[in-house]
Amino acid sequence: MNARRAAGPTALVIALLVYPFVDRAVGLQTVHAVSDGMIYVLLALGLNIVVGYAGLLDLGYAAFFAIGAYAMGLLNSPVLGSPLYGHPWSFWLCIWLAAGVSALLGVAIGAPTLRVRGDYLAIITLGFGEIIPVAIRNLGDITIDIGGWRLVERLNLTGGENGVNPVGRPYLPGVPFETDPIPWYFLLLVIGGLSLWAMNRLRDSRLGRAWMAIREDETAADCTGVNPISTKLLAFALGASFSGFAGSVYAAKLQAITPGAFEFQVSIMLLCMVVLGGAGSLKGVILGGMLITIFDRIVLSQSTTLVRALGRTVGVPLLATIDLTLWRWFFFGLGLVLVMLLRPQGLAGRRRTALVVTDADDAPIAEAPAAPPRVDAIPAWLRERAVREGGGPILEVRGLSRRFEGIVALNEVDLVVPRGAVIGLIGPNGAGKTTFFNVVTGLIRPDGGSITFEGASIVGLRPNAIVARGIARTFQSIRLFPHMTVLENVLVGEHCRLAATVPGAVLRPPSVRAEEARARERARALLDFVGLGGKSDDVARNLPYGDQRRLEIARALATEPRLLLLDEPTAGMNPRETETLTDLIGLLRRELHLSVLLIEHDMEVVMRISDRITVLDYGTRIAEGVPAEIQRHPRVIEAYLGTGYEQELAGREAPR
Amino acid sequence: MTGMLELADVHTYYGNIRALRGLTLSVQRGEIVTLIGANGAGKTTTLRTILGTVRARRGTVTFDGHRLDGLATDRIVRLGIAQSPEGRRIFPRMSVLENLELGAFVRPDRDGIARDLERVFTLFPRLRERVAQKGGTLSGGEQQMLAIGRALMARPGLLLLDEPSMGLSPILVETIFRIVQDINRQGTTILLVEQNARMALRVAHRGYVIQTGRIVLHDSAAELLRSDLVRKTYLGEK
Repeated sequence: MNARRAAGPTALVIALLVYPFVDRAVGLQTVHAVSDGMIYVLLALGLNIVVGYAGLLDLGYAAFFAIGAYAMGLLNSPVLGSPLYGHPWSFWLCIWLAAGVSALLGVAIGAPTLRVRGDYLAIITLGFGEIIPVAIRNLGDITIDIGGWRLVERLNLTGGENGVNPVGRPYLPGVPFETDPIPWYFLLLVIGGLSLWAMNRLRDSRLGRAWMAIREDETAADCTGVNPISTKLLAFALGASFSGFAGSVYAAKLQAITPGAFEFQVSIMLLCMVVLGGAGSLKGVILGGMLITIFDRIVLSQSTTLVRALGRTVGVPLLATIDLTLWRWFFFGLGLVLVMLLRPQGLAGRRRTALVVTDADDAPIAEAPAAPPRVDAIPAWLRERAVREGGGPILEVRGLSRRFEGIVALNEVDLVVPRGAVIGLIGPNGAGKTTFFNVVTGLIRPDGGSITFEGASIVGLRPNAIVARGIARTFQSIRLFPHMTVLENVLVGEHCRLAATVPGAVLRPPSVRAEEARARERARALLDFVGLGGKSDDVARNLPYGDQRRLEIARALATEPRLLLLDEPTAGMNPRETETLTDLIGLLRRELHLSVLLIEHDMEVVMRISDRITVLDYGTRIAEGVPAEIQRHPRVIEAYLGTGYEQELAGREAPR
Repeated sequence: MTGMLELADVHTYYGNIRALRGLTLSVQRGEIVTLIGANGAGKTTTLRTILGTVRARRGTVTFDGHRLDGLATDRIVRLGIAQSPEGRRIFPRMSVLENLELGAFVRPDRDGIARDLERVFTLFPRLRERVAQKGGTLSGGEQQMLAIGRALMARPGLLLLDEPSMGLSPILVETIFRIVQDINRQGTTILLVEQNARMALRVAHRGYVIQTGRIVLHDSAAELLRSDLVRKTYLGEK
């Protein structure tokens, strides 16, 4: 079995190793084109981190390619006049410098775009992609004049329109980089192989999961403890560093670089490679990159020759003079349209992104309802984390206010959650309950008032920092990471309790391996506990609705909270599912001493498990007390419960 | 007797997943019919199949003698079917008023539209208060009201309601079901999909119980409220 599974990759490696020699023996002369293709594949792989993993549409990625190429060109060119150019540095050093410079610029460019997404982000990157070639063109002749004192006179920094020529080649004793394309092929094979290896490891790491979570739902990721700012910056930086490698090899291989090689079309072509192959899939991006380059460099020119020969023999002048390479953008466009129509997930895209089921409630047919939660199934690690001591309230909110465009959403609201208590938060629709949650979890800043969690103010903290402090939440309309698996969803919850860094994720030292194994073990235990044990590899969006609700709670528990905010957890559940969930909440409080703040419209649930209840109406607290008081509170009945509820309550109690 | 709406042996799939497995159901003119069932049983899929947003692979859907399966959704809406979708499918960046006006998109009669707007505001005073606010800034419950209001603006012959009580406070759940009855008395036939089986069966004339994509029980609402299956599974009684 194993031998057969290994046969494919082994054959591929052998094919890659012998290919250039076969090519030479047969006289195909395609090694040059294939090597160039590998440079573009490397670029596309870097872009895939930004677009495919983190979901940030970058239309100006060629800028990083340019930066990598120019970093190499400027540091490693033996001729240009300025002092910097006089001492060409070694290729082997420059390639790392180029990657580093690209990564730094990736952060610099990423920073202003962090607050925007989608269309706006794409437009900013588009602008950046235009700026870089223009800047390169105009930095060939710099004169700086300050008050008659010439600070810089006619400095040629980039070679202007003419570019940098020549660029130094790598030197290895006995390897003919000057005359033979085969060493370039192997150099790129090594760089490509290492990059692929690193990317593969990154994808299956704490960081890779954070990227995907950001792509799926940034707000939910933030509220699950993933810092969107550093996560996105890291995507930009790592994506850029791969293009730094690609750019520097490109410059050295071509021996000359001009600004024209990094225009907008290049960004688009790279994006085509990613989309054609399948964003997010490494195999797909390699396939897309290779197909497009081979088509561009080999197929188009070969078929031009063929068609011309045909045209001459049949005597059609139009065919005899045609140049198909001028039609390349036409063919790329056509190919992209066809792929989008026939296979929108890309040639090798994972099928799980292509399922047509869009809504939770209809996805698959629900089977037997979940078993009630069991005390002995509570994961041991959660028990260890339980905090019982601490006398004062775990959460104390005083005078909390928030207005939206003149509408008072919260008006001087006070609310206290004692440690280990379940507090119900009820009120008419639009009373400000969810706004209250959003303010406590840091999604919305309050206009006034204080929020104290375990004795320290949390006002002004970012949502992910509040999660790290120990507050987790669920959402009224379920917000899972729909295309990630059940297990991955819970693992994102553990993100803020894990420590693996980029080098750790790539090199996987024993400490990281152990951490990752422990994280998975915990996630599985949690899934068993909430009754999703058998579904850890299912894609979240395909779960039945009730399971999605439970998964959201499991993900919140994975952040190791001491206070859990549940926003209508039983909405859309049938009575049996509701009962199971109510039992689960009770169990968490009893066994783990978890404090719970609960928004819920199902009065049976609220009245059964709440220690105290706060009632909001028009953003103002109109009542606070134990359930029995709230049920009979005239203002609550008037604004919220309704007389029907009162009658039903009376009817239910009468027979006793 | 053929009803206003007839579904006969309808099979609907999402990719390879079977959502409806031979569903048969009929709604007579003037009725409130409720479809109750667990999450994932196929309730929303049934509504989608009627409106043509997903296609039945087998079986027929007829409305007032017109075959609906195969028609485009906008044509189906023009025949007089409107839906208030589950959850928050309103236009979030448009105002409450614009959302409601869009509901009347297929109607030419200006006076009638103005009258119906007034009727919606009478049914939901909260929407009148927020008439200029963007739909996306409404609370969950208010969005639910807006979705129902928008559906009413089309003055449909048949109104499809998908979980109208979801996420609403107890007092609003009562109000919504009272409004459902009012709408029905004013001449609109209603197919009501609900998780809250107790309330749904109280207002409906007849009901269907759907399990894993098929109807397993149908009867008058009063009989269903007494049936063991409904009481145990959907009313949570022991």
